[in-house]
Amino acid sequence: MIRFILRRALAAVPIGVLVTLGVFALVFAMPGDPLRELAGDKPIPAAVLAAKRAQYHLNDPFIVQYLLSMKDILTGHFGTTFAGADIADQLRLRIPVTLKLTLLANAVQWTLGLFFGIYAGFKRNGWVDRSLLLATLVLLAVPGLVAYFAAQYLFGVELKWFPVSGVLEGFPRSYLLPALVIGVLGFAGLARLLRTSIVETVNADFVKTARAKGLGEQRVLWRHILPNALLPVVTFIGLDLAGMFGGAIITESIFNLPGLGQFMFQAIKLKEGGVVVLLSTLAFISFILINLLIDLLYGVLDPRVRNV
Amino acid sequence: MALGLALVLASCGDGKSSGSGSGSGSKSEVIAIAADPLEYINPLNENGSPGIQVAMAMFAPLVTTDPETGKLQNVMADSVTPDKTSQTWTIKLKAGNTFQNGQPLTAKDYVDSWNLTAMGSNAWKNNGFFSKVEGYDALNPPTPDGATPKPTAVKTLSGLKQIDDLTFSVKLKVPFSQFGLTLQYLGLAPLPEEVRKNPDAYKRKPIGNGPFKLAADWNAGDDIKLAKWDGYKGSLVPQADEITYRFIPNADTAYNEFLAGNVDFVDVPSTKVKSFKTDAPDQWVTSISSGANYLVIPAWDPRFKNPKLRHAFSEAIDRKAFADLVGLSEPAKGLVAPDMAGYRDNACKYCDFDAAKAKQLLAEAGGFSGTLNISYSTTSATGQIFAEAIGNMLRQNLGLQVKYTGKQGSEITELANSRKLDGLRFGGWGHDYPSIEDYLTPMFKSNGDANFANYANPALDAVLAKGDAEPDPDKAIKLYQQAEDIALEDMPLIPLYTKSNAYLHSAKIEPRVSKFVGVSALWATFK
Repeated sequence: MIRFILRRALAAVPIGVLVTLGVFALVFAMPGDPLRELAGDKPIPAAVLAAKRAQYHLNDPFIVQYLLSMKDILTGHFGTTFAGADIADQLRLRIPVTLKLTLLANAVQWTLGLFFGIYAGFKRNGWVDRSLLLATLVLLAVPGLVAYFAAQYLFGVELKWFPVSGVLEGFPRSYLLPALVIGVLGFAGLARLLRTSIVETVNADFVKTARAKGLGEQRVLWRHILPNALLPVVTFIGLDLAGMFGGAIITESIFNLPGLGQFMFQAIKLKEGGVVVLLSTLAFISFILINLLIDLLYGVLDPRVRNV
Repeated sequence: MALGLALVLASCGDGKSSGSGSGSGSKSEVIAIAADPLEYINPLNENGSPGIQVAMAMFAPLVTTDPETGKLQNVMADSVTPDKTSQTWTIKLKAGNTFQNGQPLTAKDYVDSWNLTAMGSNAWKNNGFFSKVEGYDALNPPTPDGATPKPTAVKTLSGLKQIDDLTFSVKLKVPFSQFGLTLQYLGLAPLPEEVRKNPDAYKRKPIGNGPFKLAADWNAGDDIKLAKWDGYKGSLVPQADEITYRFIPNADTAYNEFLAGNVDFVDVPSTKVKSFKTDAPDQWVTSISSGANYLVIPAWDPRFKNPKLRHAFSEAIDRKAFADLVGLSEPAKGLVAPDMAGYRDNACKYCDFDAAKAKQLLAEAGGFSGTLNISYSTTSATGQIFAEAIGNMLRQNLGLQVKYTGKQGSEITELANSRKLDGLRFGGWGHDYPSIEDYLTPMFKSNGDANFANYANPALDAVLAKGDAEPDPDKAIKLYQQAEDIALEDMPLIPLYTKSNAYLHSAKIEPRVSKFVGVSALWATFK
């Protein structure tokens, strides 16, 4: 087990270097001058421009800037953003926000997904199954941006069930609306995958064998069908969890949640390579960790893969 | 499906209630700022709108524009007196003013704070303001590309002199009759000694000299809560007892917060220009903005050299239609904002739409060779729409071939600065101090700060210098108008429109609306 984890961690290092280098190159290649972008149309005195350029190493070659950024990340000296924000401060402020949003959104999505998926899988062609198919089509067609603003207007402004934006009312109230929208928009895919998987498993030979042996329906469901049907779903959930960060950029902006997504958005807007790479590294590490967890969970669900 | 259900539910429910009126006697208001939260409060290192807006509450300027009359009025200053040539200015402070830490406000505080800002190696954003003061160059020696500016041995501006506890003088490099007006800029606020010694330690606990102080500890990402400070003895005291600035980067979200009754004041974002009057009936105000919006002609491109061609372009534009497209706008008839003293209604001779005359002028200029390129900023939602509107007018009325290039704003600026930009682009400018001079010098003087067209005309520079040296305000304005006439004749910029700003306010406040200083929630009246 320990060896497995260590091996995975080591394998992640070269991939991490490639990913961060790639992201940094992308930001570097973006057109425009970050300091001018920050100043808008205002003229900046030459002295101020020179001092800022030197402070942020903006005149150094690409690879030097990248190495300096990586050094800052590895030594924990994050410094300040171009706008003067203390980056370590920002991380302390923002990581919990994104974590709370992601966990709550996933809780919504998994609960809905598992419930509807299992139900539809067992009662195939019933009304739940048919409604799910319709809902999937509708939900997959709604652009997130529209849904977020519509939900904000409806439940925040008109009905006043939830705060419109911000985190003033704390956890979970301030996070409920965005989490519900993300969860509702995302659960359909999970539910359909689970439904298909259950339908396939129900008809598998080992289930028939179990039934033929005279096992009770409950035992067949919990010990034979579900563990097998859940295998592809676990992978899906893992990828989905890791992908949440990308979605957070839009959600956090619209609901004014000061999380990592909003930070990422500002950093990209200002071409702030160091911050983008830092946040990408964080996302990458969490991706690796989640994948590791998923693989371990796989081993629990399916003994066959334990020694692969 | 859940969403569909919710829509049905919503049409039945009537959850509407308006206003965030607390009902109690305390006069408090929440002002939404559609920008990222501030990182520090230091007006000397801040030239953006959100930072200066907050600084306005916490710091008091030397002088200010009277919102009723448009005339300059003393706040911290007792008198501001130029010498005969307008080159040396003596500023006398009122006695008895203090900082919020109780220390008396003295001339030394101004002199030392200004010197700190003028030192290039500090990289404070308002450094450029002091470039007019004698001795600026010694504190800002040219630095080779990529090098870090070093603190210079000289620590003070030679033009800045403390005379006594309450008096100091500023000697400028050249005469400048408008200098008194520039002193209302908040970027010149004084910092007390303890802040000057270690500005970073005070970036989240500023010590001001204005009507408000921090009401609660302020940490990264927090809203800024302010409470009235009893020690403020200046004029123009706001009515509010408590003010909260809420930072909501997404302007549409800020607007929704207003509609939900959670904030008292918000800017109307460009996406709501068509709907705000019905969204919040009787709760909106508008005011003409002091911005000039125009098309920039690339002076380095020989195809645009003939002024007649520029006049042709200008006359081919149907400004009324374009202003309607922009929304809340009026066609521009000059190069300065309409709310400035010295603005003339019809300064521009070539700004009326006349397709036949435009064609004739283009023919006289010898036509235009090749395809006309219009660059627009991709970061602006409306950039492409505006570019295509202008392009279509030039295509239809002058028979030009037009193409469009979308780029990031700063990239266009960089191309223009290195004189590589091909064709027209949009530009805008708003004054830092209310004088028509603050349009003409930055935009049209050779090497002006906002001279985006890279325009240079010695005749115009000479008239500007005369205006700068003219102590009589009315005579100075006449000279500046001459400069505007020269610029309009050469037309390095084609005036397009003047925009109004719109704001929403809750029922409990009435924002101050002034022809001279615009709309302010800080000085709102409470009901």
